[in-house]
Amino acid sequence: MKFLPLVLANLRRSPLRSVLTAAAIALAISLVCLLRTMPAGLETILDYAASGTRVVVLNKAGFDYPLPYAYLQKVRALPGVVSAASWTWYGGMFEVEKGVTFPSFATEPEVIAEVFPDFKLTPEKVELFRSHRDGAIIGRATAQSYGWKVGDRIALKGDLYPVDLEFLIVEILPHDLSPILLFHREYLDQALQAAGSGLSTASLFYVRVDDRSRIASLCADIDALFRNSGAQTLTESEKQYFKSMFSALDAFVAITIAVTVLVALCIVFIAANTASLSVRERAGELAVLKAIGFGRRLVFTLLVTEVSVLALVGGAAGALGALGITLGLHGASTSMMPQLGPLGSFVVTRVIMVQGLFLALFIGMISGIVPSYGASRRGVAETMREIF
Amino acid sequence: MLPLRYSVRSFWVRRSRSALTVGVIALVVLALGLLSGLVSSLKQSLEGAGSPKNLIVLRKGATSDSASSLPLEAFQAVRFFDGIALGADGEPLVSPEFLVQPYSLTRTGERDSVSVRGVEVAAFEVHEELRVAQGRVLAPSAGEAIVGRAVAARYRGAELGGRMELGNSTWAVVGIFEAGGSALESEIWVDARELANDVKRPSPYSSLRVRLAEGTDAGALIRRIEADPRFALAASIESEYYAKQAASADGLYLVVGGLALLAGIGAAFGATNTLYATVQARTREIGTLRALGFSRGAIASSFLLEALLIAIAGFAVGAVLAWLAAAVVSAVIGDISLFATSGVSLVSLRVGLLDLAFALALALAIGVGGALLPALRAARLRPVEALRKG
Repeated sequence: MKFLPLVLANLRRSPLRSVLTAAAIALAISLVCLLRTMPAGLETILDYAASGTRVVVLNKAGFDYPLPYAYLQKVRALPGVVSAASWTWYGGMFEVEKGVTFPSFATEPEVIAEVFPDFKLTPEKVELFRSHRDGAIIGRATAQSYGWKVGDRIALKGDLYPVDLEFLIVEILPHDLSPILLFHREYLDQALQAAGSGLSTASLFYVRVDDRSRIASLCADIDALFRNSGAQTLTESEKQYFKSMFSALDAFVAITIAVTVLVALCIVFIAANTASLSVRERAGELAVLKAIGFGRRLVFTLLVTEVSVLALVGGAAGALGALGITLGLHGASTSMMPQLGPLGSFVVTRVIMVQGLFLALFIGMISGIVPSYGASRRGVAETMREIF
Repeated sequence: MLPLRYSVRSFWVRRSRSALTVGVIALVVLALGLLSGLVSSLKQSLEGAGSPKNLIVLRKGATSDSASSLPLEAFQAVRFFDGIALGADGEPLVSPEFLVQPYSLTRTGERDSVSVRGVEVAAFEVHEELRVAQGRVLAPSAGEAIVGRAVAARYRGAELGGRMELGNSTWAVVGIFEAGGSALESEIWVDARELANDVKRPSPYSSLRVRLAEGTDAGALIRRIEADPRFALAASIESEYYAKQAASADGLYLVVGGLALLAGIGAAFGATNTLYATVQARTREIGTLRALGFSRGAIASSFLLEALLIAIAGFAVGAVLAWLAAAVVSAVIGDISLFATSGVSLVSLRVGLLDLAFALALALAIGVGGALLPALRAARLRPVEALRKG
């Protein structure tokens, strides 16, 4: 410990270089910390968006293939099912030039609160929704981006169906991640009947289960029920359903992560390079130290300590920087800019920060050990002769 | 001015020290080259899917094929508009198409939404870049499918002679087509009526592709189509439509750029440190040069030159690595699936000249940025002190 001032003085000898090295390490550590938040962050987003007690029933052929509406009654009758709602894609456009900017679905207002307790609809709100034939519930993000509020009337043009519909907004969902608009299935059905067709299908069913341990068996039960029907079903937990929607991005995410690791790696190279430079340059000085009685081991320890201190400072700065970035995103997403919503779920935890610090220390020691070992073993007389 | 050879030799004398910096720049070039290559491959494959000689007609407001539906009457009406080229059979070249995205299992068992396009005979004349490479063209109403080159490699049963389960039916794969590496190669083509029956959707078409006759004013035909009061249609030139789809990939460039910037800053730190050490080690030499009468500018520019040499060496190594890595990825993994606006796009990773140009620019910026401060310090050394100090 008494040599700490010496170590610090050595670091100050070339302040610019020390700062650059620490900054490079800080950059690498903050990158690694941010990457480490990804898996947990994505999981948080999924947990937030998906309830643990809901399953989704789709046509086995894909989202473009409708489910017969009659299936809904059969699903409701299964043991373990609390309630079930159908969602039918309407895809209304507010401004035709921009196309579909938020998803809109027709559903049954009677069961919406039972299937989606996370929407936190009070019985009065449900009654309000039910009693207005043209009532609609919209997601907060959509309401904010268009400046709509409860009581407003909006008109949407049909995308897939040749009918245009008018809605009265009766409630805005507190749910951050749903830009959806939900309205009466009957309303769409009547409009379609007036246009000469009618609605006998749905896009998907949301089914609420009484006990989450029964989800696996219920999924199998539902699929078994329709195995020999005209349209087979694909039933999975809501979380799995969301996950599979993003699975097409897996390759891109994997490549980005690989490249980021590559970047972090090259920064570590830089730090190692600098450390070895600064040790090599000081050969003469180290020889003097040894000549006046510093042992080999002490010289080695001093050099490694020096690099490690630098790496730790850099690591701490990087970890704090990453923490600052995620806190900033979190703050921004909860207050001013809810459209950043999902980004607020990435959190640098204490564990991640400690891991980052250890990684920094490890980088420092590795890049310090090799040149220091060589320097501490070099013969004193030989070095002196070379230098002077 | 100091001769160029001086910088080259100085670089060579310190090759082991320079090697690390070269290596770091090479890694940065590798990273940027691969990422930028991926994004530009995606853009190219989307842009390549459209022709300036075709119009695409969608329902007004639909942003893509998959979100559009057209009544049969719209097809019957548009066919007889003026300015449309005639096919070999004398019929107007209007290809009604129907796009659906059913699930398909990959060979490794993952579930993708794959683009299935229902077509009629006219499609093969309108999409002239399409060429059946193996097997034959599909026959109508026979439960047959032809698949894009990229699809054949990725999905279960998509090989020539295989059977694919899509939607509610099973389709026999009778041909594999190429389309100049464009996004069409990520599609499966089947008979339009059969597909409409399979989905049970009331209107059998989602878009029309129209081949313009030679010398037609595309603008006039577009106005004519959009002004028709019976249907709400929107028409655009096919190549412009796909360019717009490709523009949605621009956001990815931001991610790539951000990562490249971070890596570049890190690498510039490294270059700075290396060159500082070089300046320090060569203090006496610099003093001698100054004493001989070389100006400050000459000293500074020789250091800049040396840094540029390091950067170019790093770029050369990195470019070769990136090219090799892309070749290895293509050979081992094959196509990379990316999610574009309309379904999964299978993109073969290619590192093009433009991507390498980006990487070269970054490498040179790292070199110059890293050399600036050390070069200034070298130029500022006082000859007398420098000679004494070394």
